[in-house]
Amino acid sequence: MSVILSIASTTLGEAIRRRVLLVILLIALGSLIIAPGLSVLQPRGQQAAITSLTMGIIQMTSALIAIVLTVYMIPNEIERRTIYTILCKPVQRWQFVVGKYLGAVAALGMMIFFMTLVLIFVTSLNSGFDIARVQELVKGPFMYFWQMAILSAVAMMFSTFVTPLVNFFLSSGIFIAGTVFSSVFQSFMENRGTNELTKTLASAVQYIIPNFALYNVQNPIINPGQEIVNEFGYYLQSVGYALLYVVGLLVVAILIFDRREV
Amino acid sequence: MEAAIEIKQLVKTYKSKIGDINVVDHIDLEVGKGEIFGFLGPNGAGKTTTIKILLGIIYADGGDARVLGREVGDMAIHKKIAYLPEKPYYYEHMTGIEILRFYASLFKIKDEAKLKGLLERVNLANDGHKTISQYSKGMQQRIGLAQSLINDPELLFLDEPTGGLDPIAHIEIRDLILNMREEGKTVFISSHELSDVERICDRVAIINKGRIASQGRLEDLLKGGRYEITASGVPEGLAKSIQEPDTLVSFKDGRLIVDMPDTTSPNAVIEGILAAKGSVISVIPRRKRLEDLFVETVRQKNEEEKAGGRK
Amino acid sequence: MRIPRTKLWTLVGGIFLAQGAIQMFGALPLWNQNYKPKGQVSSNLSPDQMILAFAGMREMIANILWVRADTFFDQGMYDAVLPIIRLTTWLDPRAIDIYATGMWHIGYNFTDEQSRSDRRYIPSALALGAEGSRNNPETYEMFFETGWIWHHKIADGFPKAVYWMEEARKRPDLPPARGNILSMAYQRNGELDKALDLMYKQYDAAAKRVLEGGEYGDRNQRDTVGNNINVMLGRMSQRGAFAKPGEKPPVPFDTDPKFDVGFTAQVTIPEPAQLRIRATWNVRPVGTRVRVILRDADYPNAIPGGMVWDATNEVALDPPKNLTYMQDDNLFFRNRRADKTIDMSRDPTMYPLVSDKYYLEFYYNPRIAPPHIQDKFSWSGEGMTAKPEFLNTEIREGQRVVFYRMELTRDMLRRTGDWLDKVPVFATPYFEEDRVRNTDDNLIQVPGILAEP
Repeated sequence: MSVILSIASTTLGEAIRRRVLLVILLIALGSLIIAPGLSVLQPRGQQAAITSLTMGIIQMTSALIAIVLTVYMIPNEIERRTIYTILCKPVQRWQFVVGKYLGAVAALGMMIFFMTLVLIFVTSLNSGFDIARVQELVKGPFMYFWQMAILSAVAMMFSTFVTPLVNFFLSSGIFIAGTVFSSVFQSFMENRGTNELTKTLASAVQYIIPNFALYNVQNPIINPGQEIVNEFGYYLQSVGYALLYVVGLLVVAILIFDRREV
Repeated sequence: MEAAIEIKQLVKTYKSKIGDINVVDHIDLEVGKGEIFGFLGPNGAGKTTTIKILLGIIYADGGDARVLGREVGDMAIHKKIAYLPEKPYYYEHMTGIEILRFYASLFKIKDEAKLKGLLERVNLANDGHKTISQYSKGMQQRIGLAQSLINDPELLFLDEPTGGLDPIAHIEIRDLILNMREEGKTVFISSHELSDVERICDRVAIINKGRIASQGRLEDLLKGGRYEITASGVPEGLAKSIQEPDTLVSFKDGRLIVDMPDTTSPNAVIEGILAAKGSVISVIPRRKRLEDLFVETVRQKNEEEKAGGRK
Repeated sequence: MRIPRTKLWTLVGGIFLAQGAIQMFGALPLWNQNYKPKGQVSSNLSPDQMILAFAGMREMIANILWVRADTFFDQGMYDAVLPIIRLTTWLDPRAIDIYATGMWHIGYNFTDEQSRSDRRYIPSALALGAEGSRNNPETYEMFFETGWIWHHKIADGFPKAVYWMEEARKRPDLPPARGNILSMAYQRNGELDKALDLMYKQYDAAAKRVLEGGEYGDRNQRDTVGNNINVMLGRMSQRGAFAKPGEKPPVPFDTDPKFDVGFTAQVTIPEPAQLRIRATWNVRPVGTRVRVILRDADYPNAIPGGMVWDATNEVALDPPKNLTYMQDDNLFFRNRRADKTIDMSRDPTMYPLVSDKYYLEFYYNPRIAPPHIQDKFSWSGEGMTAKPEFLNTEIREGQRVVFYRMELTRDMLRRTGDWLDKVPVFATPYFEEDRVRNTDDNLIQVPGILAEP
């Protein structure tokens, strides 16, 4: 375990110093701060629009960071040959993969946490500090964190056998598909005209691809006052889902990476 | 002699468009404990591939390889070996001491004094708190050596340890390696920096195109020096009369240069010159250098292959 | 050490089975219930728009698009606004302002050269209103706005106006003054008791707020409703609403005897796609507007004098291109006569006139008449009559309306074929070309209006 933690903490230390990530993060933080200034919007929807915008900034930034961070993780180690100095020590390959992943997720968590702090600060500055509102607000980033944990695992899995550029598009594609497909699936299911084969196929795809939409819980945050049924149960299930998915992907990554010649 | 490394008929094949290529082609090799072994070859000869197989980073397609008496890939080996890759980049945001701490943690070693000692040993005691990004190439190579010594390895693999370093750094690294021999460690150096290898290695193997072209003790391999005899006032007839095997004769305006193997006695030639009233200017014995051996071996091997390739 | 590959692959299989199960049977249904953006209408949207929408910041994008739409409004590029309305409401189903503005825009802004609305759009406007109310059920606004379209724009199908206004009133955020509109909708729907009852309730509520130290608006509301109650009681009394069946008061009700409106009309088609209408009506000097409809005989969901406006639930961005539905609510009578030319020739996209058969309809409903006319006709036409050919008690339940239908052909309207050189002329029974003023004519004496000598 200490080996994994060592690799993870080194990875974290490296990740939070990567300039490209810091630039992305800075742009996001800047956008979060100026977002409330965009008052060209219709007055009634302003609160909703700004919440939507800030949530969107956090989500997209997190996704971008998750992908950019993870796709280079293993290829960089190989290119810089640091991986040899690690793998020739008593470090199993699975420990290396898990350590790298945990480091990435820790870095992501830190960055999301940081953005959330800024979000709370900016919101409080604009409409006063309201603990109840803050509690609502943080639910968005909290769920994004799990969303990004899955996305990172997806990118990690791909990074064991494709190049970073291909991985970037693959992972982005899966992120979009995993977000959109849920709706497509719903419309297939609700449409009586859909034939059984299509429905079965859609169910199968839905079953397999990661459902990123599960972590988009911003709607009630953007438009407060909706009744939420079994919220705790929902969070429990979706976090459980994320953990299972991540473990599954990591095991696949390990299985591939174990055979991989670096 | 107890073997630190035993390789038998090792094969590693890569697929390519023109068919499978044996990057490592049935290699046999043995390195004894306490030896400093030089693994020589031009770029792409299969040196690094062989090392990676020995480290368990990649897998062989055939043959047998044992390190410290165990089959490669055994995690137990990893506790007793170290590897210094060619031109590695360490995590640039970390300081020297942090790098050592990180690698130590992979062995679950938490001995700060030992890490400090290692820094001192590689002459970085005063630079331990600088980040790697501030290190020169030589310093990076030295911190690399330090990290490779964390576990007191019995066997070290050094891949081009002096590559790209300035002369002073060269000497520093070379001395560090020589120290290791004194400590009884086995060192496996892959290099094409022949002068270094010549100075520090006990035995060498030359690998070319995946095959061992020659191997043995350096002094055996470097047998076969030459004499160069220079004389003046020599008549042309004498120059023409020297017809020893493997001997080069050049003559111009009474000045004669004879280049002959040291297996033949130079006395006959010298006497001939004196008898013809010529004067001997110098007789220089020239020892065979590793470079000559290397070039010779590689060229010979390539020619053999050309000839063999047509059959 | 080798990793146990087979075991791990089995583990992966197990994990993937488990994650799918959690998703499909646990998290996904809850997500749909709690967090799914409401009112997704995936039709009419291109895939890139959908992806854009899913990429997050839906509400923000909606807002930006809506600001963009403003420019199109200014430039009169109404066609460009429609897709934006559709997209923005889909992106942000909570954007009430966009729903309301969009509905109004679809309902009112598409007009012909003579400012008649393109009523083929009305079903879309209503569908948008219904969708907006479904997506925003906790506020009165979209219910009220949809009710208002029925009440004011359609001015027919009065139960629908009542339904939507009642729904609006169920929401606690309905401003009191807007509740008064429901009372008017009740009147138009012939539900006088409900109208009066609501007025009293509104009055009591306003009076209570005033006692509790209410604001200017509360006092104003109390006084307005009080005044309305007075007027309403007076009208009900005058129009015989309180009379027992068969009772004859000492002074006759204003609605007694029934008044013959003397409607006749003549239609000529002097030029292609032009209707010249001349008609008579015995009310003077002013106050009567008769509805004229020219539509395809088989226009979907059409009924006499109008349409089942909310038959569809779909917000269509384009009107049915090949169908014609012209409705003019402004056949205006001045001193007993109307003479109007309805020119459809300049709007061929709005009036394509491609069907073979058409209906031309005249329709008059006292429910939307101004009060001084209603004083004579009462709310449901109790004091109104017409020749049997025109008086209709069937097409609108419980109402006495004037309705007359003529059948036309495309050749007549376009002046082609047999009608190339012949001016089609249609007249209702009793129409007289140049009627001279006849002292025997029973002219209406509109109460409250000074009759001309």
